[in-house]
Amino acid sequence: MLRDTIVHLLRDNFTEAKVRGKKRFLLERQQLQSLTEFKSQAEVIGFLADSPYGPELSKLPDSVSPAEAERTIGESLARTVENIEASAKGKVRQFIIEYRRRYDARDLARLLVFKLQGRPWEDYATTRSSLGTLSEKQLRKLYNIENPRDLIEEMADQTLEGRLENMQLESPSPDKAALIRDIIVGWGDERFYAYASNELTGRDRTICIPIIGSAIDLGNISIILRGKLMGLADIRSHLVPVYWKLDAKTLESLLTAEDIQQTLDRIGAHRYYRRILSGSRQKYDETKSLAFMEVLAREHFAKLSHEIFLGIPYNIGVILAFLVLKDNEARNLSAVISGIDAGLLPEQIRPLLAT
Amino acid sequence: MVSEPIIYASVGVGLSVFLSVIGASIGISISAPAIAGAGTERPEIVSKSLIATILAEAIAIYGLVVGLLSIFRLTSLTAADTDIAFRIFASGLIMGIAAIAAGVAIGTSGSALASATAEKPELFSRAVVPLILAEALAIYAFVAALLLVI
Repeated sequence: MLRDTIVHLLRDNFTEAKVRGKKRFLLERQQLQSLTEFKSQAEVIGFLADSPYGPELSKLPDSVSPAEAERTIGESLARTVENIEASAKGKVRQFIIEYRRRYDARDLARLLVFKLQGRPWEDYATTRSSLGTLSEKQLRKLYNIENPRDLIEEMADQTLEGRLENMQLESPSPDKAALIRDIIVGWGDERFYAYASNELTGRDRTICIPIIGSAIDLGNISIILRGKLMGLADIRSHLVPVYWKLDAKTLESLLTAEDIQQTLDRIGAHRYYRRILSGSRQKYDETKSLAFMEVLAREHFAKLSHEIFLGIPYNIGVILAFLVLKDNEARNLSAVISGIDAGLLPEQIRPLLAT
Repeated sequence: MVSEPIIYASVGVGLSVFLSVIGASIGISISAPAIAGAGTERPEIVSKSLIATILAEAIAIYGLVVGLLSIFRLTSLTAADTDIAFRIFASGLIMGIAAIAAGVAIGTSGSALASATAEKPELFSRAVVPLILAEALAIYAFVAALLLVI
């Protein structure tokens, strides 16, 4: 532990101080809440002119679509992360690269779903994350593979192939598309968890694992819930076989629950996840959608990240915490822009924000 | 032939200067990258945060002053001045070890100061206190070393 601290003090001090400088420019909760009051997307973009998103957003034309605005926000996020990566050395640099590989999984998930839905490459290209490490050429090559099974084989490893093996992939319904996405994102999180478990040591590991581990657990819960929603018989084979706070007993009780409501009740009684998923049964009953899961998960990650910033500064957790908060901010802004464009009221947009 | 007291006194001078320089370099090498990193995002805090590197540099000056005063005593030292020689040796050791300790403290607190100020500039006036207290550690040793040498 002392060795790690000394390494951070001598080698990563520059990057960690830089990250704290960047953290100052993150939007506060009140600012985000007030953004929901704006009447048009142009007003939101105008408000963000002095923020780190300003340089990119100012280049957009007045009549920009929400998708383009969201993509620009994503590009700004990617530029911030690349900037940190450029100044990082050794383990911190590798950590950021591994973090970016999680976005590869998200890109691949979206790519597969778009492909299965028969949508053109151009549609996919506009939604692609700027933060992934896969180039457009590589993704294009994957998109040109006709058979979905061949596509999975080419883009991933046997682990993911096994997890999607028993699933009918053709023409997926929105629920099934979301399940496929969750499975692939879970696979990406599993790679990141394996990296953090095997390569990080001491305080670095202790501080990062709660965020990375709970991402896997919440991903598994989401897969189980979607499986219940779709009435799948074999949900277990789609799960990531890595558990942090979800012990085997709890998992078994979730898998054997009769329906989605019972699953939510059971997870609501878990000693760790009851704090995070409190009220999820009510939210599901009100909306009949699992979209709230993503917001609750992001709120949890943001809370853990804020706690990391309050702790001892010399560890890799500070970098992860900032990346999580920045990603959360970008998603919140995307939710605000999409909500305003869809004509939602402020009180309808606010529940979509994880603050 | 060099007498034993002069050897002890010379080692004391060496310890004072050498270990103080090591302490100062630790303080600077830990705090300066943090100041530079924070400065890339908030250039306006660099000049204020530089106090950490200045205070770290001051440690080397304390060691040098103790060393120089010891050298002045050393020139008039005879083989019979064993007690003075040991006092010079002790002053060098005290100054040197305290300088390393203060260097580590200034480096880490200076680095934390830069990071904290980058995030919340209004914290500077309070975050600078540990840095000053860390510098005080070296000053205690400096005073003790001076009393031993003079």
